[in-house]
Amino acid sequence: MNYSFALSSPVNGLNICSVDTKSNFKVAIITANFALPLGKDAAVNALIPGLLKRTCRKYPTLTEMNKHLASLYGAMVAAGVSKDGESQVITLRVTALEDRFSLSDEKISEKAAELLLDLIFDPNLTDGKFNEADVEREKRLMIEQIESELNDKRYYALKRCTEIMCENEVYALSRSGEIEDIKAVTPESVTEAWKNMLKSAKVYFGITGSMNAESISEQIKEKFSSIDRSALATLRTEFVVSAEEPRKVREELPVKQGKLVMGMRAGMTDCEDNYVAIKVMCDIFGGGVYSKLFNNVREKMSLCYYCSAAFNRAKGLIMVQSGIENENELKATDAILQQLEDIRNGSFTDDEFESSIKGLTNLIYGVGDTPEGLDRWYSGQMLDSEIMTPEEYAKLISAVTREQVIAAAQNVTLDTVYMLAGTDTQDDEE
Amino acid sequence: MSIIFNEIKNELLDEKCYHIEHPTGLNIYVFPKPGYAGAYAVFGTNYGSIDTKILTADGTLADIPEGTAHFLEHKLFESEDLDAFARYAKTGASANAYTSFDTTCYLFSCTGDFNESLKILLDFVQSPYFTEQTVAKEQGIIGQEITMYKDVPDWEVLFNLLRALYHSHPVRIDIAGTVESIAEITAQTLYDCYNNFYNLNNMVLAVAGNVDIDEIIKICDEMLKPCGEFNFVRKPHEEPENIVQDYIEEKLSVSAPIFSLGFKESYGLPKRNLKQKIAADVLLELLAGTTSELYNSLLEQGLINTSFGFEQFTGFGYGATIFNGESKDPEETAKQIKAAIKAMRENGINAEDFERTRRKLYGRTVMSFNDIDEIANDLVGAHFDKVGVFEDIDIFRSLTVKDVEEVLGSTMREEYCALSVINPIE
Repeated sequence: MNYSFALSSPVNGLNICSVDTKSNFKVAIITANFALPLGKDAAVNALIPGLLKRTCRKYPTLTEMNKHLASLYGAMVAAGVSKDGESQVITLRVTALEDRFSLSDEKISEKAAELLLDLIFDPNLTDGKFNEADVEREKRLMIEQIESELNDKRYYALKRCTEIMCENEVYALSRSGEIEDIKAVTPESVTEAWKNMLKSAKVYFGITGSMNAESISEQIKEKFSSIDRSALATLRTEFVVSAEEPRKVREELPVKQGKLVMGMRAGMTDCEDNYVAIKVMCDIFGGGVYSKLFNNVREKMSLCYYCSAAFNRAKGLIMVQSGIENENELKATDAILQQLEDIRNGSFTDDEFESSIKGLTNLIYGVGDTPEGLDRWYSGQMLDSEIMTPEEYAKLISAVTREQVIAAAQNVTLDTVYMLAGTDTQDDEE
Repeated sequence: MSIIFNEIKNELLDEKCYHIEHPTGLNIYVFPKPGYAGAYAVFGTNYGSIDTKILTADGTLADIPEGTAHFLEHKLFESEDLDAFARYAKTGASANAYTSFDTTCYLFSCTGDFNESLKILLDFVQSPYFTEQTVAKEQGIIGQEITMYKDVPDWEVLFNLLRALYHSHPVRIDIAGTVESIAEITAQTLYDCYNNFYNLNNMVLAVAGNVDIDEIIKICDEMLKPCGEFNFVRKPHEEPENIVQDYIEEKLSVSAPIFSLGFKESYGLPKRNLKQKIAADVLLELLAGTTSELYNSLLEQGLINTSFGFEQFTGFGYGATIFNGESKDPEETAKQIKAAIKAMRENGINAEDFERTRRKLYGRTVMSFNDIDEIANDLVGAHFDKVGVFEDIDIFRSLTVKDVEEVLGSTMREEYCALSVINPIE
């Protein structure tokens, strides 16, 4: 391990994780995450990162902000919103060149940290509110982004299946809320949501690079000193341990390839429950090119170009995805279930089992080879009770046994089969 | 056997790279990253979808089906006994491959057992094994890959644009071919193409990460199979300067119109040189980057959103400057982009804007020496483009406004421009 990390919690509900990467990399990354309960405020919360990202009091126009970033050697600000179980996570991240590569001895990292804190704590307000024009621009951009999710059929089908499968759970809500709710956002409501975020969100700062993390931590602490952090939001995620009768939903769009998504419950009671064994099981099922789905549904049966299974630990779901001809729906569904059945019965080879352990641990050991990887690794654990290094996690993976994999597979239940059927299947070549 | 061995250093980046000309004809690049846990290797050939002809035994050129390079890439993983994926599974490496317009590359990344994985890579790429049965099986898989891309609007809008810009250059054909063209591929086609292009003299190996250069050379000495002379010469295609049509449209299941505005470029050479490329990158950033008037005005007018982007699209015998994104009014957006180009030609480039943009792109270039996958892939690209490993960094340091103005004078000519639009199905 060629880096070290330290954790501090200077303010109620705030964790700062500093990862000292020595002089290994060309860039430094500072990430701020704010976790709030996913719920009725999802839409208004989702507008916060875009508003904070594009301007601030010091750089009140898009052009001024972008000029400042360009002068910081192309520093990049990323902003977004995601779901972590039934929490909505608002992210702002600055990526900047490490100081030693500046052309004239500048402290790029200090300026980058200062900028991030300005974005979060000192936005461009008029009369204490976000500007109407800025809010309207963000609403348009967010609505267009949500609408364009339709363009990516693979993502769209996954999202639809999740919505249908979890329709009675908070998780059905989109990470950016509903379009109708976005339309209703006003400068007042989004200003209120921003203040609420600073007061009640669970906050994580990740400082990855070779800069002076202590002084940045001090600045973060200082910024929070005037904010009342006594009443924090409660974050929890509902787990459905097993599905009842599987249900089938078929929808149509004028596309050429059908998209099949099979939503499964992983058998978990919370996000800590048996997750390491489930991770390995899911990988043997449909992870890498050594997995059962790849080798059987794609390679042996030639049914598709992709067929894979993804484990969502934070919500206890396993989602299988494949792109197929409409008429192969049943064939593919049966073949996919058969692969799961085989794992349940222990019919997988030692080779398949060991390939998976090796493949997974290889990826985990590679986390420390990019600053982005380290940043993602630690910020991804912001809601966990304990923080683990990649090496610790790799050890847990290596300790999983065949029996644990079989047991994990036996707890998986099929919840929803979603087929997005293509209606534009006529050959349209001239 | 004599090995030519060069050490290439860059003080500013504090990095070095080794270039080895192996006696078998293979060029090898090794970029050590001692602090890293992993390593990444790419083995590539200068053969892609634009190579639609092969040299036959009697010295004439013969046509091969569209999509053969990509098909061959899929099939090379197979062998008589254990396929390459199964062999990699034993080392834990994560392997993949890709085919572009002008290259085919095989790669793996790993954090352990590097030597064994490198042997697998060198072995399977040098050991073709194709049968009619395995070719037939792959037609189903690639057929689904082709169908999948037909539903991807960003992909369709680009290829429609290329078909509007190019009369006959094979850049206008889909990399994976069509369901019909791949049906013509046989095991013999694959062997013919393999023998034509997979010659070590036409290939490159690039490795980045925590690796030992002596070990790599030892493995190469052991694994590389001497091959015959390489006689194929990629020739520029006959392609007129003008475009086919200035507008092309398709309807797909999308939420709003998607556009791609392209200017067909000609450089007088098969490939644009690196300095011109960098100057053109700076130019595009000045014209349409996030600090530009154009970008901010289009954004404020609601004509573009965060999907807006631009690129220089260049390769052997083709080149285009492309602006793309989602827009409620692609024609108006195209009109304003053209007006901004005209205004820039008339007003020239502001020195302060130039300096800030140069700094931004310089910073991004330094950042690209961070990730071993990016480094190794860039080494392959640089080799086939015949440019030096750190040449881009040096060019950034000496680039002037004049260089950018020169490019501005010769590119983005309105009469060679086409607009491709994907409209929603009502």
